[in-house]
Amino acid sequence: MNDLALKELLYKIADDLLILGHRNSEWTGFGPLLEEDIAFSSMAQDKIGQSYALYTILHELGEQEADTVAFMRHASHFHNCQLVELPNGEYDFSLIRHFLFDTADAIRFEMLTRSSFKPLAELATKIKGELRYHTLHANTWIKKLGSATEESITRLQNSLNYAMPYALGIFEESPYEKVLIDSQIFEGEFALKQQWVQKIEACISQTKLQLPDWKIVTPIYGGRVGNHTAHLQPLLDEMSEVFRIDPTAEW
Amino acid sequence: MHQGMESLDPRVNRLPKIESHESSSTIRPLDQLGTYEVFVQPKAGKPFQHEGCVHAPDVELAYILAKETYTRRFTCISLCVVETQRVFVSPFTEGVQSAYALIDEGFKTDGAETEFEIYHLLKRGKQHIHAGSVVAHNETEAFQKARTAFSSDKPVYNIWCIPKQAIRFTKPEEEDLWMTLPEKKFRDAIDYKGGDKLKNFLENTSANHSS
Repeated sequence: MNDLALKELLYKIADDLLILGHRNSEWTGFGPLLEEDIAFSSMAQDKIGQSYALYTILHELGEQEADTVAFMRHASHFHNCQLVELPNGEYDFSLIRHFLFDTADAIRFEMLTRSSFKPLAELATKIKGELRYHTLHANTWIKKLGSATEESITRLQNSLNYAMPYALGIFEESPYEKVLIDSQIFEGEFALKQQWVQKIEACISQTKLQLPDWKIVTPIYGGRVGNHTAHLQPLLDEMSEVFRIDPTAEW
Repeated sequence: MHQGMESLDPRVNRLPKIESHESSSTIRPLDQLGTYEVFVQPKAGKPFQHEGCVHAPDVELAYILAKETYTRRFTCISLCVVETQRVFVSPFTEGVQSAYALIDEGFKTDGAETEFEIYHLLKRGKQHIHAGSVVAHNETEAFQKARTAFSSDKPVYNIWCIPKQAIRFTKPEEEDLWMTLPEKKFRDAIDYKGGDKLKNFLENTSANHSS
């Protein structure tokens, strides 16, 4: 039972990171300014590296190898939330998604530093600095552009309104919440969401952006059980193209 | 009249339109962000050294952008940035002449004293390296105090003097930003050794041709 619960947890965290890492890497060469292009690409690389570390832990638990798991699954077998698979759109949406997702991700891994499952606790401790940079980057840009010009505020506001139901989908509960909490592997999606709301409010309150009334936003669930938007499969097809042509290709 | 396609090159689009007559307009400001100078401390006990600059809207974002622009490959333990305009620069010298021989004499001593960071250029074409800090009323006094404190027989070809309060330093809790960097060798070309593969490929190709 614990094993299933643990694998489900690892898969959803890893899949979130792999898919968002790939999406964010689509900005490489197209970023709004050179320095930001480099920073955003580096963070995308970090995310893919973090997903690799999690797939490696899964492999040690008996799952297939990281490359196979990453490249050979159909969309319906991915556990990522729908937020991370949405197309990049314009930079305002990518920044808002980066802010909403990475805030949750940083709290999740901060909780996992206390996990009773040691490999996960060790990984969470190891990547602290990466997550610190990702949230520093996201918060600083949101504060800057969320109070800058009419255009920047309007763009971010529209993206925030659009992304919010998907962002709440991050916290879709698994059938194993109680097992994970009782066995002290993970403190659970509900606790995570509560801390996330506080952090989001703390940052947005320093801008001219408005948060929606939490009570009236309907979360978009489904990603955790393999229900995805039409955008995920084309992403997977492109990401796995080389591997599918030649699984033994070396880089 | 036939209208040509507008160029996709931003440099071309910034040029004024030929034959267009704009009546008495003011010059538009550049659509560029300001620059910030970036300094990196490679190891504990080693001084900060100048690495280059970044474009950024403010000092905080300059720090964030500098981190990935300048410290995504080589390990370091600390980073700091300062707005380019806050760096006071001495005259340049060469040969045996030190830039300290050319700094302004005399200074006012009203107002409060503040700390200045002093950087030396010890070889033309190399980076400015941190020499130390002095407390002074203004940059003129700071250059003179630095001459007393840091000049030696070895000529310094250029001196930078930066008010410490203008610098965005790495905060103690941010020292873990570079913790996983040593594992990111995949960012360096050396991690992709293609020599043997290329040799095999060429040998196979020539073998196929000769058969």
